[in-house]
Amino acid sequence: MTKKTTLIIVACALLAMAGLAQAQTGTTTLSVAVAAEASLTVLTGTTTLATTGTNFSIPFTGTTNLTYFIRTTKTGGTGSLTLKVTADFGGTGGPSVATPPSAGDALTYTCTVSSPGTAATGSQTASTSASTAFGTWGANASSTKAGNTASAAWSLTDDPVYATGTYTATTTFTIAST
Amino acid sequence: MVRGKLTLRHAAPWLLLALTSLPAGGGTGTATETLSATLSPVGALTTPATATLSKTTTTFLPFTATVPVNYQIRTTPTGSGGTITLKVASDFSPSGGPAAASGALTYVCSGANLGTACSGTQTASTTTSTPVLTVPASACTGGGGSCSSQNPNSMNLAFTLIDSPVYSTGTYTANVTFTISAM
Repeated sequence: MTKKTTLIIVACALLAMAGLAQAQTGTTTLSVAVAAEASLTVLTGTTTLATTGTNFSIPFTGTTNLTYFIRTTKTGGTGSLTLKVTADFGGTGGPSVATPPSAGDALTYTCTVSSPGTAATGSQTASTSASTAFGTWGANASSTKAGNTASAAWSLTDDPVYATGTYTATTTFTIAST
Repeated sequence: MVRGKLTLRHAAPWLLLALTSLPAGGGTGTATETLSATLSPVGALTTPATATLSKTTTTFLPFTATVPVNYQIRTTPTGSGGTITLKVASDFSPSGGPAAASGALTYVCSGANLGTACSGTQTASTTTSTPVLTVPASACTGGGGSCSSQNPNSMNLAFTLIDSPVYSTGTYTANVTFTISAM
């Protein structure tokens, strides 16, 4: 009697278990190392330099806008934004960054860099042979998720010796963070 | 002649009982045992203990990692089938970095050789379980025929973690729990 009762109880339990959902879990640890980074977007793909003057006293001017993204290391991190003229004004008889036709002719720029960056001070003379200063930032700096703004206000001497025509140059911005 | 009927389910304590009831002594006897196994729905899975989210550039592109999931499952003909889901059991820590709670961690399922992988991009959650795989009724792992030919079955999850400039530099970890269930 006792055995029968036991068997019936076991059988009922097994029948009940047959319809139950069985579940099991496993866990994976996701690991990510977040390092210093930097990137930028040039918003003004082509910047047109123009002048309102008619007597060579007013230079050609234009503005290039950028958005920069940065993250620097908490301790000892740093970063910079520089630019270089990677392709001089083409054609003959026009302006030139590398070999200006007249003394004093130059392509210059002044910078604006929103916080956390700091703009290079004063007017900078662009170069085809060296990168020139644009902005810097320090340790534990980060831009917003949407990026921060920066701009270069260009100025190109209007020299009478320039032959009429349209001339183009290419400027490359470089951003770095550690 | 002794005829016995035996129901066997995983461990059958009465098997020993039935066998010991057979007649002892000389003579010839024939014993016929009917073995009946009642198989319950079962699911099991394995995932790597760790997975590293990484990238090859440093320009705020997302971090990615592929996590393989191996699973074995058996569902009943009359049940609702089986599922694999996941949940972020503990969000990225320490603070100052990414957070799954803000929707930064997503995944795409692919390559399931039994069942149907989740479709589209899923956003991992710290509060609710999100789909990984659904398995129909009457499905089973291994053996071929009406079951899959692979054992275990496998699939992949491609995780993507947003890289935001506002994250502080450092290493962050989160735990993702996968749950397989079968009916």
